[in-house]
Amino acid sequence: MGDWEWPLILFTVLGQIAIGIILMLWWLDRGRDHLDTQLFKQSVLISGGLLILALLASLFHLGHPEAAYRALAHLGSSWLSREILLFLLTFLAWIYLFWQSKQQTGSRTLGLGITSVLGLLGVVSSAMIYVLLRVPAWNNAGPVLCFLLTTGLLGALCTLVLGRKLLQTTQKKLLLQFSLGCTIASLLLYIIYSSMLSASTEGAATLNFLLNSPLFWSRALLGWFAPLLLLISILKNPQVDKTNLILTVTLLAGLGEILGRALFYLSATGIQITALF
Amino acid sequence: MNKQLGFLHNSEKCVGCRGCEMACKNEYQIDATPEWRKVFQLHEDDYSLPTRMFFSMACNHCAHPECLRVCPVMAYTKRDDGIVIHDPNRCIGCRLCTMACPYDRPQINPAKKKVEKCNLCYQRIDNGEQPACVAACIPGALELVEINDTLDQKTGVLKTLPGLPSPKLTTPSIRFIGPKQGKQIRRD
Repeated sequence: MGDWEWPLILFTVLGQIAIGIILMLWWLDRGRDHLDTQLFKQSVLISGGLLILALLASLFHLGHPEAAYRALAHLGSSWLSREILLFLLTFLAWIYLFWQSKQQTGSRTLGLGITSVLGLLGVVSSAMIYVLLRVPAWNNAGPVLCFLLTTGLLGALCTLVLGRKLLQTTQKKLLLQFSLGCTIASLLLYIIYSSMLSASTEGAATLNFLLNSPLFWSRALLGWFAPLLLLISILKNPQVDKTNLILTVTLLAGLGEILGRALFYLSATGIQITALF
Repeated sequence: MNKQLGFLHNSEKCVGCRGCEMACKNEYQIDATPEWRKVFQLHEDDYSLPTRMFFSMACNHCAHPECLRVCPVMAYTKRDDGIVIHDPNRCIGCRLCTMACPYDRPQINPAKKKVEKCNLCYQRIDNGEQPACVAACIPGALELVEINDTLDQKTGVLKTLPGLPSPKLTTPSIRFIGPKQGKQIRRD
């Protein structure tokens, strides 16, 4: 079984929130109702802060963070090299976006689009690092889908929190529906993924660990069931003031995703020598 | 790659003395924690008759090394003779290779915060000597061999043993000679 990889948990979750926010801004900006300028500026700033925190957290995973620049050396076959390159490019694109947010005029769709696409490629690269022949629980599409769903879910919910006073009703509804879709997809994906795990000895060990872990059931409650009920309730009662509920569902989903990511690392069982000693 | 060097381990000869482990540690003055070479005992019920059998394993210098593929800093290189070398000067301690190797052979040195592994004593091989572990094996259970079809076609040469990951994962450059099952006489 794996370890509590705090730097990796923080790097992946914070990075995915940052990219998710930019992605949601891009999506909303392309819609009929344009994005509020104040919300755009505020969200770009917050997403950049989260991206910086994520990149800093990733350094603590290394034995020698001072030599982290070398991680760009093996783009030919290492997904870790590709991830670092794409995250750095995303950060450069974010700097352009930040500069754009300071301008009074000009189209911001291009900046949002470039940052979103680079960020999404970065998220896919992050997930591909874990697609290892040795770890049956990871050697499938699971990590990629799981990381993308976290990006979508937390990106949409954090944008809702940031734009609680500045988003239009239709935009809020779109983000709520998207969050609900991501939560349902995440739950269904996990059910399918779990059923596939029992196919190998190592996968079965991962499944056994998950089902016997209180962390997994906390993750299920906080990250799937509670957000699911709250999101349905918010969408069904549009007349009720939703600000506190949205904040609650974002916190719960955020905690759920952090626990989920911790379990991702903790439950990984690799193929290994099973001899004695 | 011109050839593929590797190990041939004869479990019939191995007595589990760990001389190979010690020779490796002495040669490179390795700290206690990373085990470049390790002697394992197979489960007694892996064979039809109970038998106490050992095998010794270091880096297998795989034909398709996962460590080399995933390493972001190119700390791993594969020589023309198939030896997979890890350069600690390039390692940044990301530990991805330790997650990718099914044999758990690249290991982190907690004191140095870098990964280490067996480099098949390439300096000794280049000087025409045997690797330290092979030279130290008293019963002659460990040999340095060229992994090729001729070796694989020899009677009794096995690509894997019970309890080892499938060789299909990384095509390890190690071959085994399994134990001969002795006759057991029950006296009721």
